[in-house]
Amino acid sequence: MTVQVLGANMDYAAIVVLFCIGLYVVVAKSNLIKKLIGLNIMETAVFAFIVTAGMVEGGDAPILGPDAHAPFASPISHALVLTGIVVAVSTTALALAIILRIHREYGTLEVDELRQMDG
Amino acid sequence: MSGLFDLVMLLLLIATALAVAQAKDLVAAAILFSGYSLTLCLLWQHRGAPDVAMTEAAVGAGVTTILFLVVIARTTRREK
Amino acid sequence: MRERLAGALAVAMALPMLAVVTVLPRVGSPDAPVHTHVASRYLARGPAEGGAENLVTAVLLNYRGLDTFGEVVVIFTALAAAMAVLLAMGGQNDPSSRSPGANAHGTRADGSPAHGKPAHGEPMDEPPPASVPPSPVVTFIVRLVAPFIAMFGLWVIVTGHRTPGGGLQGAAILAAMFILVAMVLGTASARSLLPGRSLPWLQAAGPLAFFGVGLLGAVLTGFALGYPVDPALHLLRELMLVGVEVGIGVGGALIFASLFLALESP
Repeated sequence: MTVQVLGANMDYAAIVVLFCIGLYVVVAKSNLIKKLIGLNIMETAVFAFIVTAGMVEGGDAPILGPDAHAPFASPISHALVLTGIVVAVSTTALALAIILRIHREYGTLEVDELRQMDG
Repeated sequence: MSGLFDLVMLLLLIATALAVAQAKDLVAAAILFSGYSLTLCLLWQHRGAPDVAMTEAAVGAGVTTILFLVVIARTTRREK
Repeated sequence: MRERLAGALAVAMALPMLAVVTVLPRVGSPDAPVHTHVASRYLARGPAEGGAENLVTAVLLNYRGLDTFGEVVVIFTALAAAMAVLLAMGGQNDPSSRSPGANAHGTRADGSPAHGKPAHGEPMDEPPPASVPPSPVVTFIVRLVAPFIAMFGLWVIVTGHRTPGGGLQGAAILAAMFILVAMVLGTASARSLLPGRSLPWLQAAGPLAFFGVGLLGAVLTGFALGYPVDPALHLLRELMLVGVEVGIGVGGALIFASLFLALESP
């Protein structure tokens, strides 16, 4: 029965798998840039979840123009995800600036070497 | 039919994420992440979210990938 | 060792989440709780109360306007913090990590591709990539298409309350155009696109526009960021919405462009 329900909600299941892949990349890899890419995968998985939660089957975009028909996707999900995407790119840019600085100061981007480096 | 499209897109997303996870060349990881963003953009458009699709295409496949490539070009290219 | 622990952690987090997925409402069902509480009110009274047919813009700027204000401040703060981190770094590349005269983006003065050799004792695994000037086809196309992209970005910003689009989308499109111009036509010609001395004020255009419209709304309706609901003032409400969108669009585009320039050549 559980497998059947998972089959109906396969979008959610795939998003959970994506989130866990991102989590694995953040924890297991030792390069800072690779960790940042993993963090972005986690963030986009969360956005995918929110937009999927707000969709209606056969629904239309929530724009009430002259030729829009009845079932609409929820506009709150879209607004949340828009804010989230912009905040994600801002934090990625700041993290990249910090990574550049770390590379200038220490010459390496591997967490293992950085951990052995300063006391 | 739309179920088939969703299934193919989701499998493509998972495959791209796995490829990013095990890529040793950082430029390849950044470009694969751009492909991941593009697949997400198509998924948003299919879900009836054109605003989100536009933003994801311009920001994910445009700005974020370029910022990654610029920083990779100035630091290291392969991870150890 | 760490990989195994990370794999175990990923699986350990996946199992409870998959268990939750089984009790969630079916994907795409129209009577899920997300559609029946607040969203139905927005769909029913959106254009009358919110003043925009694009309900996503109405939610972003009117119903949940304070969240968008916070987001605009977040973008600006990210730029400020990134500048603070990068400007303290100093000017040129230090000579121990890159051979002098090699540049990842530009060409050398005589046009020859720049091959770098790793310095002694420096663990570089491969020389920096040879820099290739962009072909004349690419340069011509970018020069031709860039004004149209800018026009499209401005259109997306200004008509964001009727068609899919809005301030954030237009900002992303304009920033992508700026990055394209900077990569193909060179950083100097891209820098000439930016405004000169008023750049910091224009970068703060997002928070400033929100602040101004919030004050205007407080004067008109008594609530901060309150758009007037009176049908006689609907032109003023539309003007306030467009003003906020233009502020977010211009401010956001300049912030992304400055972030790119700061990362490429501080």
